[in-house]
Amino acid sequence: MKLEQRLTIALPSGERSKHYALRLLRRAGLEIPDFQGSRSLSHEFGNLRILEVKDPDVPAYVDLGVADCGIVGKDWILESGRDVYEPIDLGGEPYRLSLIGIQNSGSRIERVASKYARSARKMLNERGIPADVIQLSGKLELAALTGLVDAIVDVVQTGRTLKENNLHELEVFAQLSYRLIVNRAALKLKSSTLRELIHRLQHLETETGIEK
Amino acid sequence: MRLIPDGTRFTLPPEWEWRETLRSKLEGVLGAWGYEAVQTPSLEVYDPAHPQADKSFKLVDRDGTVLALRGEYTTAISSLVRANFPEGPFPLRLRYAGQLWTRARDAELGRQREFTQVGAELLGVSTPLADSEVVTLALECLQAVGFSSVAVELGHPGFVRAVLMETKLEPEGIEKLRALIHRKNAPELAMELDNHNVTGKTRASVMALIDLYGSQDVLLEAEQYALNDAAKLALEELVAVAEQLPQKGVLFDVGIARRLDYYSGMIFQAYTPDFGQPLVGGGRYDGAPIASLPACGFALGLERIMTALGGLEPIKPPQAVADSRSAKKLRAKGWRVENAWTLEPSELEAYAKKRGIAYLVTGDQVLNLQTRASQNLGTFLENL
Repeated sequence: MKLEQRLTIALPSGERSKHYALRLLRRAGLEIPDFQGSRSLSHEFGNLRILEVKDPDVPAYVDLGVADCGIVGKDWILESGRDVYEPIDLGGEPYRLSLIGIQNSGSRIERVASKYARSARKMLNERGIPADVIQLSGKLELAALTGLVDAIVDVVQTGRTLKENNLHELEVFAQLSYRLIVNRAALKLKSSTLRELIHRLQHLETETGIEK
Repeated sequence: MRLIPDGTRFTLPPEWEWRETLRSKLEGVLGAWGYEAVQTPSLEVYDPAHPQADKSFKLVDRDGTVLALRGEYTTAISSLVRANFPEGPFPLRLRYAGQLWTRARDAELGRQREFTQVGAELLGVSTPLADSEVVTLALECLQAVGFSSVAVELGHPGFVRAVLMETKLEPEGIEKLRALIHRKNAPELAMELDNHNVTGKTRASVMALIDLYGSQDVLLEAEQYALNDAAKLALEELVAVAEQLPQKGVLFDVGIARRLDYYSGMIFQAYTPDFGQPLVGGGRYDGAPIASLPACGFALGLERIMTALGGLEPIKPPQAVADSRSAKKLRAKGWRVENAWTLEPSELEAYAKKRGIAYLVTGDQVLNLQTRASQNLGTFLENL
């Protein structure tokens, strides 16, 4: 795919998400040489510029127009609350955002920990669960096991870690996958380029089925 | 303690100068089109029905009434007109420029919590000519402040509203669909339509909304999805405005679905290449809830425009430091001159050098601080 206009893509820097996003972009026909060895955070290949940013920050770069589009998990799109376009589902290993608690504890959920404080608050509110939400940055299982909180809101893929720690998925809040997100102005101003990219990424889906 | 609140700024001389220059250029254009300036109070009586109600800064008045800091101009201008020009004469053309405050917003690139807006309202008439006047005027404003390449995008929320009506869903379901269309979220929109068993032509039309953007051709393409009279009317209105505008640089998005209840007619935004945020927003809002008379307007955010233009020219220092009598004579010739605050020439010279001021005038002597050349004030003034 030849780029007629300059295009800046925000790429998630998480190992798994970066690998997946790059593979999709390459399969869609973007020529992206290997830059694994480079310590630079921004890579230019002709008209294409790739910014490596932390997964949670991809929506901000796209919303504020520093990047024209980006690839990121739906969890971070929800959490960001950013006003962006999200025209296609890019699949990936399916995962979900869930409310997780100690099995058979029977206690009321009054305090909840999450990396996704905003989403957690919103989804607890929607379900009428009046719990306080504490923002933590990782190892949430420990917060539940030590009694720091009564439950956690986190992403679940296989559920193996949960089982090992005697934790239980109480409710699935949302099914998640990778998404392409696009800046509002860019979709209109660079519409031929972005439409082509969207079309090609969509085509990948139908050609091989969403990779699971 | 923070020195100033989040999302506010100290405005320093170069920025002030630039902002005021832009403001007066914009007001110059609006004035030339017959738009007269008004101002509304910064303090407003808090109204829960106000479109910005939950985003505004609130204060309590001495009798306990809740007040809000002005968060947008359109509603305020509409009250101003109701109170002062109930009988017109219409059309009424008004412009405004001033500060706005938004509490519920993170301060980031191109987004401040205290910001300056310049805008215009064309009130009392509702015609395609009036709509296109407002769009053209907004574009001329952007040109006047130095944007050479601008794209404007037109839409009509009435179209989305009408197409969604065909799903026969409850308001809650409609709102969910609207939010998905607003994000052009095709996969989840398809799922949501499946969940509600929306099928056939209605489903196809709702799905089509996501992709109906681009050049004027999309208006033709949209015709097949106009399933009811309201949709046909919205499309006709949009076509009628489009016919008044040049084809070049005008884009359309029939699937625009922001705030369906606010704008009643055409809405538009303008963009410039490589700046990811709209420079101008506007549209037509006839009747309830915010205006009792037809009106169409737009606003531009000065700070955002300055960010998009980029680069700030350093402000030029005054041309001279002089004793008060000489200063008066130089000012009469149009110079910017500071008064000497001491009789000590060496102090004045050191200060002038630090500020980059070129001339020092003491008594009748004009000293050029770069060349060290000295001349008599009388001859110097004659040669100016």
